[in-house]
Amino acid sequence: MVTKYKALSVVAASFLAISLTACGAGGSTSGSTTDTKTSAAPTATAPAKKQENITITFQNIYPDPTDPKNGMLKKIVNDFQTKNPNIKIELDSLNTDQQKLKLKTQAASKEVPDITIVNPSAQMKPFVDAGLFAPLNDMVEQNGLKATFQEGILNWYTFNNNIYALPDGNNIGLVYYNKDLFKQAGVEVPKTFEEMVAAVKTLKGKGIQPMAIGEKDSWTGSFLFMNVLLRTNGGPGFLQAVVDGKKTFADPAFTDAVSSFQDLVQAGAFQEGATSFDYNAGENLFKTGKAAMYYMGSWATGGIETSSVNGKVGVFKFPTVKGKGNPDEFMLAPGSAFAVSANSKHLKETKDFLNYFMLNFPKEAFAVKGAVGIAQKVDGDFKAAGYSDMAMEVLGLFKQVKGGDLAFDNTMNPGTAQGHLTSIQNLFVQKKDPAEVGKEHQTAYETNKK
Amino acid sequence: MNVLRVSKWTIAMFVLPCLLIYVSLVFVPILVSLYSGLLDWNGIGESTFVGLKNFQTLLFADPVFWPSVRRTLMFAVFSMAEIPVALGVAILLNRFIKKPNFLVSSYFLPVILSVVIIGQLWKTIYNPAAMGGMLNQVLDMLNLHGWTRSWLTDPKIAMYSLYFVALWQYLGYHTLIQFTGIQNIPADIYEAARIDGAEGLKADWHITFPMNIPIFKISIVLAFIGSLQAFDMVMVMTAGGPAHATDVISTHMYNMSFLSMKYGYGSAIAAFLVGMCLIATVIINAVFNRLERRFS
Repeated sequence: MVTKYKALSVVAASFLAISLTACGAGGSTSGSTTDTKTSAAPTATAPAKKQENITITFQNIYPDPTDPKNGMLKKIVNDFQTKNPNIKIELDSLNTDQQKLKLKTQAASKEVPDITIVNPSAQMKPFVDAGLFAPLNDMVEQNGLKATFQEGILNWYTFNNNIYALPDGNNIGLVYYNKDLFKQAGVEVPKTFEEMVAAVKTLKGKGIQPMAIGEKDSWTGSFLFMNVLLRTNGGPGFLQAVVDGKKTFADPAFTDAVSSFQDLVQAGAFQEGATSFDYNAGENLFKTGKAAMYYMGSWATGGIETSSVNGKVGVFKFPTVKGKGNPDEFMLAPGSAFAVSANSKHLKETKDFLNYFMLNFPKEAFAVKGAVGIAQKVDGDFKAAGYSDMAMEVLGLFKQVKGGDLAFDNTMNPGTAQGHLTSIQNLFVQKKDPAEVGKEHQTAYETNKK
Repeated sequence: MNVLRVSKWTIAMFVLPCLLIYVSLVFVPILVSLYSGLLDWNGIGESTFVGLKNFQTLLFADPVFWPSVRRTLMFAVFSMAEIPVALGVAILLNRFIKKPNFLVSSYFLPVILSVVIIGQLWKTIYNPAAMGGMLNQVLDMLNLHGWTRSWLTDPKIAMYSLYFVALWQYLGYHTLIQFTGIQNIPADIYEAARIDGAEGLKADWHITFPMNIPIFKISIVLAFIGSLQAFDMVMVMTAGGPAHATDVISTHMYNMSFLSMKYGYGSAIAAFLVGMCLIATVIINAVFNRLERRFS
């Protein structure tokens, strides 16, 4: 008996030993695959490689099939695949928030998809600093791609003279308004901020919701607030002045902006419970004709055009505040951009694909009426292509842009930006002393700057 | 033991793989995040070791942290206070309803629904009347105009509105657990009690309650740990806003790690949360060991 069980235990032990070594082997193979990947890279440039099947992962933020950009994306990808049968483009379509989170998680383990989406300036800097993106300088020279972009736009994606991403949009902040509701309340398009506050009161008095906002996503309020600051500062560059140590958040330009912004909130501009409305819910109020005004980036044009208020909507520039500022200076929103992973297994093919994609982007976006506010020059007659009057107005505004500021979170580090977003969101639910708000900002800035 | 004389080595050999998997999936991540809590790291680039500085900031200099702990603990207290109610419902169901299964499953229904759906549902219920909020409309209809509120955006009330949704959602869950426990108590005990003159509430106090203590404990632990980790519902309904008014520990952790990109700091919060869960479990166990001894 004893020997029998001894035999059993030996068998058991050997089983275990095998499973353990299997585990160990598994571990070491997964460890070594990365080695083989990197060592395979040089051989990949060998001529025999042409027939090899390649998969490129393309993370993007056009998941909504009703969005014209989604169809455009699929069309360009399919065209490319037909021309390059050995290359498969795998789409990883996510909405913006999910994509941001997924990319950060992937970046933490240095496994960035071949093509991914980043936001300009301060928001993409940590990724660039960590060496995750491949420079695209040589690629933008190919086939004249660089010349298709608008003047200066690529600067927001350039670090140490290297271009790291190619933007899909170049937008400005503006106010959409519902002409019918304005007429109903007998309100004119406001020329100054003070007139805007007065218009809000008149609309409110007539039982019309003056403005819509989705302030649960706190950047929406910040975007509007920063436009007020752009005016009270008498021009762009307030945040840069703070970073350069020339100004603090105690500056009158800032506190004036806070008190003016509060005037708007206290006049009842925004819908009750605005901080529980997310971006889409807020925009829907305007799109369903329930609100008279909507401040947003020009990217909203397409969505409003396909909604029920189409035809009744006009746009105007954000007015001067207390007589300060120039309405031709806008909140600028260089869009999210396509970046290529520095560790991509097929760097060359990925760059080739992105080159192809961006070259075709303006044409295809124009065809699906999604070309208002893209980052590239568009040839074509918008009017003849059936773009609405409102879209034409927006295009007209683009021509009047004389510079401006970037959104707060594109200028400041993420920690300070979060402090700012919370502080502004708070103004929607309670009145605060502007000096106190400035102090909150200053504290957030001091504790987060490096 | 004598029949199957397996050496300790053999046992160890068989247990080891499971143990390894368990350790690598549970303890290693905890240790890793403990270690990350000692770093100044944005989650992407280079990290620097800063020792206990994150914890120091967390405990002494973060104006958002302690209020979020308080809200989390309040969440736990409310959830635990719900369990006696669930027990009461279970007792009533068991006593007065002939075929209680249908009722039990309808109470259980909200548990099956995804929290995201529940959150969206209650968000629309809580909306201002002008935006179609059902709760405020009903209050208006009842002429209780003074009672209408901006339920999710008034910093004083928002958190309580969230507590309520969680209580509503999990009442059925705890009722089901308690109900199952009650059904496992043999009927003859109640019969014997009846002969001795104990019926109704008296029988509940002397039989149902003591015999259900282990089940009670399961509910309490689930409620407590569950509410410490409350995250999804808060995220869907308010995302911690307005201005941190509904931030709980887990949403604060999320904001710090992923939005403010202070991964190290977020890990320090995570470490604190793990510690809190462990301590809570130990305390709850100790309390229940006492209770069980007293009632058995």
